[in-house]
Amino acid sequence: MSFLYPMLDERPVEATALLADLARSAQAKAVESDRVRVSSLAGCAERLDRAATAMAAALLAGGRLLCFGNGGSATDAAGLAALFATPASGSPVPARSLAEDPAVLTALANDVGVDVLFARQVIAHGRTGDIALGLSTSGGSANVLRAFAEARRRGLLTVGLSGYGGGAMATCDDLQHLLPVDDQSVHRTQEAQSALAYALWQRVQAHLGETP
Amino acid sequence: MTSPTAAPCEVVTGLPEGLAEDLAATALVLARRLHAGGTLWCASPAWPHHAQHVAVEFVHPVIVGKPALPAVAITTTALTATVRANARAGDLLLVIGPHDDEAIADVLGRAPAWGVTTVWVGAGTRPSAGAADHVLWLPDDAHAQHDGRFILLYHLLWELAHVCLEHGGASGEGLLAPAAAGDGPVCITCSDEGRLGEVERTSAGTARVRTADGPEDVDLTLVGSADRHDLLLVHAGMAITRVSPARVTAAGAEVLQVTS
Repeated sequence: MSFLYPMLDERPVEATALLADLARSAQAKAVESDRVRVSSLAGCAERLDRAATAMAAALLAGGRLLCFGNGGSATDAAGLAALFATPASGSPVPARSLAEDPAVLTALANDVGVDVLFARQVIAHGRTGDIALGLSTSGGSANVLRAFAEARRRGLLTVGLSGYGGGAMATCDDLQHLLPVDDQSVHRTQEAQSALAYALWQRVQAHLGETP
Repeated sequence: MTSPTAAPCEVVTGLPEGLAEDLAATALVLARRLHAGGTLWCASPAWPHHAQHVAVEFVHPVIVGKPALPAVAITTTALTATVRANARAGDLLLVIGPHDDEAIADVLGRAPAWGVTTVWVGAGTRPSAGAADHVLWLPDDAHAQHDGRFILLYHLLWELAHVCLEHGGASGEGLLAPAAAGDGPVCITCSDEGRLGEVERTSAGTARVRTADGPEDVDLTLVGSADRHDLLLVHAGMAITRVSPARVTAAGAEVLQVTS
């Protein structure tokens, strides 16, 4: 984006021009966000169906959902866990985020390192039949990939959401279900990941006999 | 089984009418407050992860080279008490939640007494006009909080605020000057407009109240008595009436009319 205005003496005029440009920019980005979300949902339709079928089977068999990610993906993991565990409508299922407890996170980061943030919690909490769901806009977060590896060793179902067409997740042997967003922008990717995660929840609810 | 038909996002529509302009105006005010040293406080009693996502965008930008800015997510249940203790005049408070969230109504109603600019993000039934200084609202849609559109709104706010900061710096900071906001104090002694004050303590018929312009002592004769944290309409050294935070949020600037 460029701002090639002449230097105006009248401050209100300059602010008015800036505000108009900002609004145009916001609208263009919103249209792009819609486009990435729609194309991601369409492109992942079959992947969503397969992942939801496997997740519903695990949940119906008593499995629990463990979500994780870093930064904005950590907050999205928390939102997804809350959606599964405490939905406004539909069936609640056991789900929580591994990125929410500062005592656990700082203990692991300080004593061992950030690469084990989620893997060590999978060791502590994961049981055969549980689900490990990780988010990474780059697809390459080392601690997310390590958690997938630990999860597979312990017989958990692994599900990943990623940008950059999958990134390192696309070639991760430990990942059973990948929901990729094919975009380079972290922000547009996070928005599309949220749409994919919500579509995943809706499909799982349908398997559970709910139509939220 | 059949797949659910309610896809969260089926068409490319962009922002609803007026929202792009609301975002632009909010971003400029946000940039001005941050430029002046203010802090962005973020809260979402119903969906705390959204507040944390807003804060982390500002503190640790995903785009290399963007400056880190002071934003804090408040996830405690003691929302009002935490903002009261931490926020300073010139700060901003961004809340995310439905129009009928009681914790949001309480903290937004008190914010004018603290000199804190407010932004309310949500979807569905829109809050009344004046409930917050800036309202960023999506149409009635139960999916918006989950399907990425709330995230889009605060991503855009972050992106536009940084444009303002960069452009404002290049313009010799004129754009970022507080006076340009058009929201400075009006002459209060000769108008019929009162101001909000929150009681900090009382003593023998007077109260020390916190206002946007700092602490001041007011006479309690007209209201009889007051308790700590009561919200008072203050005018010319007198407490005119007691108002509830929820009423301030519901009625906006109307409660400031002394003659009403």
